[in-house]
Amino acid sequence: MVKGGICDGTCVLNAGGFAGAGNSFSQEHNMKKALLCSAVAAGCFAGSALAERGSDGQLNIIYWQAASILNPYLSGGTKDIEASSLVIEPLARYDETGMMVPVLVDEIPTVDNGGVSEDLKSITWTLSEGVKWSDGSALTAADVAFTAAYCLDPEGGCQQASNFTDVESVEAVDDLTVKVSFSVAKPFPYGPFVGSQVPVIQKAQFENCMGAKAPECTEANFGPIGTGPFVVSEFKANDVVTYEANSNYRDEAKPAFGSVVFKGGGDAASAARSVLETGEFDYAWNLQVEPEILSKMASAGKGTVVSAFGTSVERLMVNKTNPDPALGDKRATVEGGAHPFLTDLSVVNALSKAIDRQILVDVGYGDAGQPTCNVLPAPAIYASTANDECLAQDIAAANKLLDDAGWVRGGDGVREKDGVRLSILYQTSTNSVRQATQALVKQWWAEIGVETELRNIDASVFFGGDQSSPDTFQKFFADIEMYTNNFDGTDPENYMANWSCGEIPSPANQWLGDNMPRYCNADYDALVAKMAVTAKLEERAELAKQMNDMLMQEGAMIPLIHRGGVSAHANTLAGVRMNEWDSELWNAADWKRAE
Amino acid sequence: MGKEAILRVDGLSMYFPVYRGVLRKKVGEIKAVDDVSFDITRGETLGLVGESGCGKSTTGRAILKLYDPTAGRIELQGRDITELEGDELRRIRTDMQMIFQDPQACLNPRMTVGSIIAEPLDEHTRLKRRQKRERVRELLDAVGMNPDFENRYPHEFSGGQRQRIGIARALALEPKFIVCDEPIAALDVSIQAQVVNLLEDLQKQHNLTYLFISHDLSMVRHIADRIAVMYLGRLVELAPRQQLYSMPRHPYTKALLSAVPEPDPAREALRERIILKGDVPSPANPPSGCNFSTRCPIAEDKCRREAPAWRKMDGGRFVACHMVQ
Amino acid sequence: MFNYTIRRLLFAIPTLLVISFLIFAILDLAPSDPTGNLPLTIPPEVREKIRLSLGLGEPFPIRYLKWLQQFFINEPLNMIEQWFGITIGDSENRLRVQSWATRSPVVDLIVERMPQTLWVVGMSYVVGILIAIPIGVISAYRQYSVFDQVGTFVSMVGFSVPTFFTGLVLIVVFSSTLGWLPSIYDTTHKVTDLSSFWFQVKQMIMPVMVLALFNASQLSRFMRASMLDNLSQDYVRTARAKGLKERAVLLIHVLRNSLIPVVTVIALGIPQIFGGAIITEQIFRVNGLGQLLIIGIQGADIPLVQTLTFIFAVLIVLFNLLADIVYGILDPRIRYE
Repeated sequence: MVKGGICDGTCVLNAGGFAGAGNSFSQEHNMKKALLCSAVAAGCFAGSALAERGSDGQLNIIYWQAASILNPYLSGGTKDIEASSLVIEPLARYDETGMMVPVLVDEIPTVDNGGVSEDLKSITWTLSEGVKWSDGSALTAADVAFTAAYCLDPEGGCQQASNFTDVESVEAVDDLTVKVSFSVAKPFPYGPFVGSQVPVIQKAQFENCMGAKAPECTEANFGPIGTGPFVVSEFKANDVVTYEANSNYRDEAKPAFGSVVFKGGGDAASAARSVLETGEFDYAWNLQVEPEILSKMASAGKGTVVSAFGTSVERLMVNKTNPDPALGDKRATVEGGAHPFLTDLSVVNALSKAIDRQILVDVGYGDAGQPTCNVLPAPAIYASTANDECLAQDIAAANKLLDDAGWVRGGDGVREKDGVRLSILYQTSTNSVRQATQALVKQWWAEIGVETELRNIDASVFFGGDQSSPDTFQKFFADIEMYTNNFDGTDPENYMANWSCGEIPSPANQWLGDNMPRYCNADYDALVAKMAVTAKLEERAELAKQMNDMLMQEGAMIPLIHRGGVSAHANTLAGVRMNEWDSELWNAADWKRAE
Repeated sequence: MGKEAILRVDGLSMYFPVYRGVLRKKVGEIKAVDDVSFDITRGETLGLVGESGCGKSTTGRAILKLYDPTAGRIELQGRDITELEGDELRRIRTDMQMIFQDPQACLNPRMTVGSIIAEPLDEHTRLKRRQKRERVRELLDAVGMNPDFENRYPHEFSGGQRQRIGIARALALEPKFIVCDEPIAALDVSIQAQVVNLLEDLQKQHNLTYLFISHDLSMVRHIADRIAVMYLGRLVELAPRQQLYSMPRHPYTKALLSAVPEPDPAREALRERIILKGDVPSPANPPSGCNFSTRCPIAEDKCRREAPAWRKMDGGRFVACHMVQ
Repeated sequence: MFNYTIRRLLFAIPTLLVISFLIFAILDLAPSDPTGNLPLTIPPEVREKIRLSLGLGEPFPIRYLKWLQQFFINEPLNMIEQWFGITIGDSENRLRVQSWATRSPVVDLIVERMPQTLWVVGMSYVVGILIAIPIGVISAYRQYSVFDQVGTFVSMVGFSVPTFFTGLVLIVVFSSTLGWLPSIYDTTHKVTDLSSFWFQVKQMIMPVMVLALFNASQLSRFMRASMLDNLSQDYVRTARAKGLKERAVLLIHVLRNSLIPVVTVIALGIPQIFGGAIITEQIFRVNGLGQLLIIGIQGADIPLVQTLTFIFAVLIVLFNLLADIVYGILDPRIRYE
C-alpha cells in the first residue's frame, strides 16, 4: 500500500544522490538514473501488481473550504493552493518530515553539489529530462523563468511575492537549466519554486496574462496546464473541481486514480462525517472539529484520522508598549512608553505558569494540538528544550513569583503595586475554541490575582489590515492577544526576523509589521543579522534556538499550543502521508485503493 | 286560517356548544334557539322580530338547514326535512332560499353578477348556456336592474343594487319559500322602501312565502301578515299583524311596541314608553323559568320557577306568558 | 394596469439606484479586508499590492461609478453578445464585474450556481406549496379536528426547528445510519438516463424536504388563516344556500378567494429562491447562490457580495410589483390606475 509511494520517492532521491553534481555529466547521469529507476521500479511493481494509471476509479476529496481559483499566485488560500497542487508542481517540495524532495528536477541544488554559488547569491536548478506539460509540450527552463516574471510583475498583485524576496533575476540558461540570482546572500535560497505555493506555470498559457491582465485570464486561472498527476476537467468556483489523470504524467503507472472530485463547502464537522461515517468521500481536509466528536465519528470504523505538526503555534502575544487609550496617537507604540506591568518578567512568567496547556489541548484541539513552550517548535533541529518548564501548570509558583515581585492582593483579590493593578485586556479572533481557551485562561489568572477582561473580534477585522479599524491585531490596542502563526516551508529565518526592532508596527509604517509584542533588543537583532549570512544548517539551527529562547525568556510571548493539521481518510484509501510542510495532497500521485 | 301551511316548525332548538381551555373541553352551550314552533301558510309573510342576538337569524338559518338543528322538526310542503343531508338536501334547496342581511358580504367578490346568479342554475338545472344567460337577464330585469350588468362584479354596485342582485340570485330557482334575513338593515333608509316594495311585488307575481326577519317593527308592520316576537331564543308571542299592534298581550311585546314612534303626532304624544330594566341575560346561561322573568315588569314567583307554555289564544294568537289569561 | 406597471417600473429605477449606492457604501464602510483571510505568512507589503491590484486604491465614488458601468452597461452587453453570438464594440477590453476571490466575472459565477439553486430551493418551494395548500384547506375546514391539531403542531415544529437541525437529523438518519441517501450534493451530476435521474432525485430529497417542510409550515398557516377568514363569510353561506355541493362551495368559492392573499405571499417569497438557502445549501453542500453569498461575505469578496445583494434587491422590487399585479388580476375589486 504505502510501499508504492516510498518506492517512487526512493527512486528519484537515490538517482539524484548518486549522480552527484554537474551538468556536463547529465547524459551519463540520466542513463544511470534510468537504470537505477527501472531496477527500483521493478521491485516496486512486484509489490503491487496492478499498478496501472487510472485503474482505481475515482478519488473523492472534500475540503470544507471550497477552491476559488487554481492559480496560487492569485490566491494565498490554502484550499486553493492544495487544489492546484494536484495539477501544477514546484521544482521541489517538502515531504512529511519537512525534508526537501525533488519534483521536476533530479536533485536539490546545494553548495556542496555546486548548485548554489559560494557567495550564496545564486541557485541553479536543472530540470529533469522529458517532463511534459499535460498538453504534451515539454517543460523548459523558459517556463520556470516566466513563472518568476509573472509573479514579480508589480501590477499583478502576486500573492506569493514573498517567496521571491530579493530575487534579482531568473534566467533560463538553456532548455533545462534555470538560474535564480539574488541581490543579497541567501543562505536558504529555496524560496522560489519550492513548495506547492510556488509551482511552475506554463509560459504558453499565461503569456498574455501578465500584470494587470492576470485576473482576466479566468480560463487559465481555473484550469492551469500542469505537470502534475491530474488535469482539470471542470472547475466550478467555490464549489467543486473535477480532475482526470494526466495522460502525459511522467510516471506511466501513476496516478492510480482515473479521476478526482474535489468538493468544497459546508463545515468541518460534516466533512469529517462524510469520510468517517457515511464513507461518501475518501479524504477530508482540516477537520477543526471538537476532539470528542471526531473520535466518536472515527469509531464508526470507516476511516482514519491523521494529524501532522508543522510550525503553527497558538500563542499569547504580550504587549510591551502601553495600550492606554489616554495616550491617543501614541497608544500601543514605542513612543507611548513601556507597558505598566507586562515589562515585568515575573508577571509574564507567572501568567505563563498559571496556564495548564494540556487542558487547553484536551478541550479544544485533541489530536490537532500539543502543549508547547516555544514559538519555534519545529522542525526538530530548531526546537529548543530550554523552556519546557512551562509545560506543567504551577499556580503556587506563579503566586510566589508575584508575591516576591511585590505585587500584593488588594481588597478585591486583584494584585497591585504602586497603584498599578494587574488588570489585563485579552483579545483574540471570534472562534469557539479561542473563546473556550480565553475563558479557561481567565479563570487560572484569577487564581493568581490577575483580573482579565475578554474580547473577541471578527477574524476578517482582526486579521484584516484595515487602517481605520482600531481592532486589528497589528494595532494591538490590548494587553494580551492570542492567535496562531507559522511559516511556510522549513526555514525559520524570515519568521524569526519578525521580532526585530524594525518590524514593530506603528503609525509611521501604517501599522505594517509583524513584531506584535513590540519587542526590541539589539542582541536579538544581531542574531537575526548573523543568521542572514550563515549557511551551515547546524549553525542556523543553533541561532534559531537562541532567538526562540530569548523571546521566551524575555516574555515577548507566551506559547500555548503547537497546532497540527488534522485530516481524515477512508480506510479504503492507501498512500496518504499527511504533510504539514507542503500540500496535504503532495503525494496524491501515489494514492491508491487499499485492497 | 284554513289555508295549507307551506312550512311547519315544531319545537325547533339550536344549541351551540361552548369550548374552553387548552383541550377545548365542552363547558356548556348557547341556546340560540330554544323550542320554537310556528307555521307559515302559502303566500303569507311571517314577520319575525326581536332584539339583536335573540336568535332570529339562527332560526332562519336553521329552517333552511344551514345549521343542523339540535332538536325539533321542520316540515316544508308536508315533507320532513329535518334529517335531510347531502344530495337530498341540495335538491330541496331549490324550494327554499334566503336573502341575506349584508348584500356586500354575501356575494362572492370574485364572481361576476351573471355567474353568481347563474350558479344555482348550473347546479340544479340542465339549461343550455344561452338559456341560462336568458334567465339571468330576465332575473336582473325582474329585480329592476339593467340586464347588461351581468358581466360586472359586485363591488361595482351600490348597496341597494347588490341587494337586488341577492334577490335575483335567490329567485333564480323559483323557490316557494324565502327567508329574508334582515334584508334591508344594511341599506339606506331611502333604499329600504324600494327593496321592500320589490319584495312585495315579487311575492305577488310568484306567489312567494316569506319569513321576514327584522328588528325594525315599523317595516315589519308594513310587509308582514302575521308577526312573531322572539326573546332570548324563544317565541313569546305570535299574532296577526293588526291584533299584535293594536293589542299586544305579552309584556315584552308591549315594551317593544311602546318603543315604536307613532306616525300620528296626536297618538305619539300619548305614547307611553315602557323602559325595560336590566340587560338581556346571556343565552349561554338563561334564567330559570320564564326567559323574560328577569326584566318583566309584572313577573311573579311562578314566572321564575316555571317556563310558560306556548299557548294558543283566540284569533290565531299564540303567547307564552303565565300572566296572560 | 399597463400604465400602472410602467409607472411602478420607472419609480423602481431611482429606488434601485439608491439601494445600489447604499449597498456599496455599507460594504465599503464595513471593516473587512479582502486579504484578511490570507495566511499570515503573506507579508503586509504583498497584501498592499494585492489590494491595489483589486482596485482598492481608487477613491470610493470612482469605484462606485465603475461598478455601475460594469453592472448596468458592460454585463448586459456581454449577455446580449453571448445570447446572439454577436460582437458589440470592443468586447475584448470591456471590464466585467470581477470577483476578488476567483478573479472571474461575478455574473458567470451566478449563472453557474443557478441550476442547483433553482432545482433544490425552487423545487422545495413548489413542494412546500403543494404540501401547504391541502393541509391549510383541510385544517381550516375541519378546524380543531385531530387533523388540524396535528397539522398545527407539525407546522409549529417545522417553523420553529431550524433547518440546520432538521438537515442534520436527516443526514444522521438517512446517510450515516441507513446509508440510503447521499449527504453531499453533487453539482456536477448530469441527468442522462433513468438511473442518473434517480440519483438526482435521491440527492435532492433531503435538502428539498428540509426546506419544503420549512416553507410549508409557514404557508399552510397562511392558507389556513385565509380559509378561516373566508369560510365564515356570508357568501359561503349563500353558496350553500344555493344548494351547491360542498366540494364546489369549498373549491370554487372559499379556496379561490382564500388563495388571493396566499398567492401574494408566494409571489413575494420567490426572490428568496434566488437568494438561495444559505444554511441548507451549506449543510448539504448544494453550493448554490446562498453558499456563494456566504463565501463572498467570509472572504470579503466585495464585488461578489455587492452584485448578489443588488440582484436580490432587484428581484424583491420586481416581485413586489408582480405580487401587486397578480393581486389585481385575481381580485376584481382591486384596480390600479
